[in-house]
Amino acid sequence: MKNVKAAMNKDRREFIKKVLRGSIAGSLFLVLPMGSEGTIQVPEQIPGIRGKKYDMEKQRFAFIVDITRCIGCGSCCVADKREYDVPDGHYRTWVERYIKDFDDNVYVDCPNGGLDGYQKPRTDIPGKIRDTFFVPKLCNMCERPSCVQVCPVGATFRTPDGFVLVDKDYCVGCAYCIQACPYSARFLNPKTKTADKCTWCYHRVRKGLLPVCVHVCPAKARKFGDLNDPESEVSQILASPDVITVLKPEMGNHPALYYKGLRREVV
Amino acid sequence: MTEAAVHTGMAANIMNYVFPNDLHVHWSLMIVLYPYITGIIAGAFIVSSLYHVFKVQDLKPVSRYSLLFALAFLACATWPLLNHLGHPERNWEMLVTPNPSSAMAGFGYIYSLYAVLLIFEVLFIYRPTMVALKAQATGKMKTLYNILTFGSDDLSPRSLALDKKIIGFLAAIGIPMACILHGYVGFIFGAVKARPLWSSPLMPVIFLLSASVSGIAGVIFSYVLIQKFKGRPVDSKCVITLSKFLWGAFIICFTFEMLEVFQHSYLKTHHWDMIHGLLWGPLKTSYWKLQVGVCSLIPLFLLGILILFKVRDKAFVFFATIASALLLVQVLLMRWNVVIGGQLMSRSSRGFTTFHPEFFEKEGILPAILIMTAPLVILWLLGKIVPMWEDKGVLTSTEPTTGHK
Amino acid sequence: MQSYNTHVKRIVLLLVILAVVGYGAKKALTPKSFGKYGHYRAVAIDNEANRPLKHMTNYSCKGCHAFEWEIHEYGKHKTISCEFCHGPYADHVKDGKYVAKLPVKKGVEIKTLCIRCHNKEIKARPKDVIKTIKMPDHLRNQHVREDHICNQCHHVHAPLRYINRAKQILGLLKEEEAGNEEREGCHE
Repeated sequence: MKNVKAAMNKDRREFIKKVLRGSIAGSLFLVLPMGSEGTIQVPEQIPGIRGKKYDMEKQRFAFIVDITRCIGCGSCCVADKREYDVPDGHYRTWVERYIKDFDDNVYVDCPNGGLDGYQKPRTDIPGKIRDTFFVPKLCNMCERPSCVQVCPVGATFRTPDGFVLVDKDYCVGCAYCIQACPYSARFLNPKTKTADKCTWCYHRVRKGLLPVCVHVCPAKARKFGDLNDPESEVSQILASPDVITVLKPEMGNHPALYYKGLRREVV
Repeated sequence: MTEAAVHTGMAANIMNYVFPNDLHVHWSLMIVLYPYITGIIAGAFIVSSLYHVFKVQDLKPVSRYSLLFALAFLACATWPLLNHLGHPERNWEMLVTPNPSSAMAGFGYIYSLYAVLLIFEVLFIYRPTMVALKAQATGKMKTLYNILTFGSDDLSPRSLALDKKIIGFLAAIGIPMACILHGYVGFIFGAVKARPLWSSPLMPVIFLLSASVSGIAGVIFSYVLIQKFKGRPVDSKCVITLSKFLWGAFIICFTFEMLEVFQHSYLKTHHWDMIHGLLWGPLKTSYWKLQVGVCSLIPLFLLGILILFKVRDKAFVFFATIASALLLVQVLLMRWNVVIGGQLMSRSSRGFTTFHPEFFEKEGILPAILIMTAPLVILWLLGKIVPMWEDKGVLTSTEPTTGHK
Repeated sequence: MQSYNTHVKRIVLLLVILAVVGYGAKKALTPKSFGKYGHYRAVAIDNEANRPLKHMTNYSCKGCHAFEWEIHEYGKHKTISCEFCHGPYADHVKDGKYVAKLPVKKGVEIKTLCIRCHNKEIKARPKDVIKTIKMPDHLRNQHVREDHICNQCHHVHAPLRYINRAKQILGLLKEEEAGNEEREGCHE
């Protein structure tokens, strides 16, 4: 027992050191009032949001997907579906599998949006497989969103802090935004009969928590952070010489979703 | 894997990849019908304006009928849209907070203004007739005529001259308004850069031209059928002149439609593989065989032979009616191929989804049939209120009468 | 007393009334927060921001499940969210009170869940991110009966816990392999 305590104390000292160094700002705990009784403590995952007034005009967030790390487990899809009660057959986020053979043919599939993970290899590929990789997809949070441009009533919009959201109490369900999105990130929710899409977990980010898909990813393939913080992982990756790309740059939408290690076969 | 293998479907199962959210086709039959209906409205209005503004005297027999025809379809233009919306009860938002950057937001005001224009043009043109009918009517009909003539019985030369000026004005600004009414629909599609089949500056032009085609063809077809049904003679000079306009409009329309495909096939941007796969794959029958083959080339040559070889009246009317029917189908097919076809191509650039409308679903075949028959019923009802044709014995002209004060 | 343009005057009057009423209706019906930041209802931002949370973080489980939390936190499965295998927090605790049991996988279900990530046959899993094995070869290589479920050797929350403990007992544990999982005296 002494050794255990010593081990735990050792970790505690390391922990506090890190806090003081500022790389874990876990000293700010969110105490969430959960109704009349009881509170739960949830540590802050995005430093700098809690403890001060949220100035919408000054926020800049980035989402980076690291293709070299995705293992296709589908945890992100499952967590997202649970967080938002996403109806079957529609997807706020999904994970695609790309298979390449030696003739440069590309085979892409996405069974059930990747919700079940990829439990079995593909058996219908003719010839020998050269390479396989997974690509998570979600809303690109474009800086010039075509969906916002075409909404006839102003039910989808880009907030001053850079999130493209849907006002589901105002949306008429015309599905024009769904046609306009070059990334097929949107769908018509059959329960609310309005447009719906990934929101980068705005309700979590506002509380200083990471989006659910980022939080549950066991491989750290999804990253989210504050670009105003130069110490954040996303700032450091974007400032590094790594090759960072976006999907469909020719569309001119200027997505805020970046990919690290994206392969040329991905559309 | 060869391109041929991909397109003939051999490799389709393995190589076909559709984004998960692209599997479902969101804009279905209702969105096919809406441009079809507004197209007919715009086209029929142009027929009427050819008489009222450009003084094409040959079209006098259908000058009033085509307005009623347009009005009947105008009454039903919002139905497919309301049926399609997830929240039709929120449709007022389009009038209260229209988004200036959205083409679709124009619908509320463009439709309303156009409705006002068309209704008033009809009321002004029919005012002398309705005044005469009011004198002979009793009870509810008398009240109706009173309201529709705005309580005015004045048919003095000065009054009729004012009416004539107003009719001319309405018919004149009606032409650009009809262009906007259907042009903006084309822009709704043309402005979607995410769909390669739609994204084209030619889209508003093609939609507008095919609108004229469908309107003129609709007037010819229904005019001949109604006259035959009622056992009345068909004014063949009118049909011949209409057919000339129809042929001219269709030549231009068909040219632009083919130009669009040709541009894609020549430029061979990365979209070409998808569009080629679509037009020679899922759309092979409905586009090349039906829309182009049966419903474009046949009427094109048929009308050409009729007009260039100066075929005689009865034969001309018969074949022109067939050509008009084919062209009505052509325009519907064009809307289908553009709206549905454009959505069959997944934005993954790697596959196509499928679309099979059901008979009994919300946006299915039965609602489509009902929505397309409704204008005919409304037209029939309108015919009960005002005469569709210039019959002898009923005062219809804007010539002055004596004595009324 | 009708004149030649009575009907026109009445029509113009009607149109003016419609325009005025329409304009008034537009002003009245426009939502209050509309236009504050742009062409949308600003209140929608707050609506989305105040959406109730369903998932929390692993730390939130610690309050009641400190024992499992600690084993998990210092094991190789540290990066896996408790809520992925067990379900979201909100299904379990509402208003600070326990409402329902969260599912715990048993038997073959565990094996399916493990293989979901650790299957070597899915050749897209980068080696430096996750260790993968092929079944039933893995069992054969470890000289273990082929009807074994993964958790008969691997603690689901800290997969190397028993393995490293066994190695430690046998004196086979290398210095670099020793992680934080070994807690002398901690038993299940």
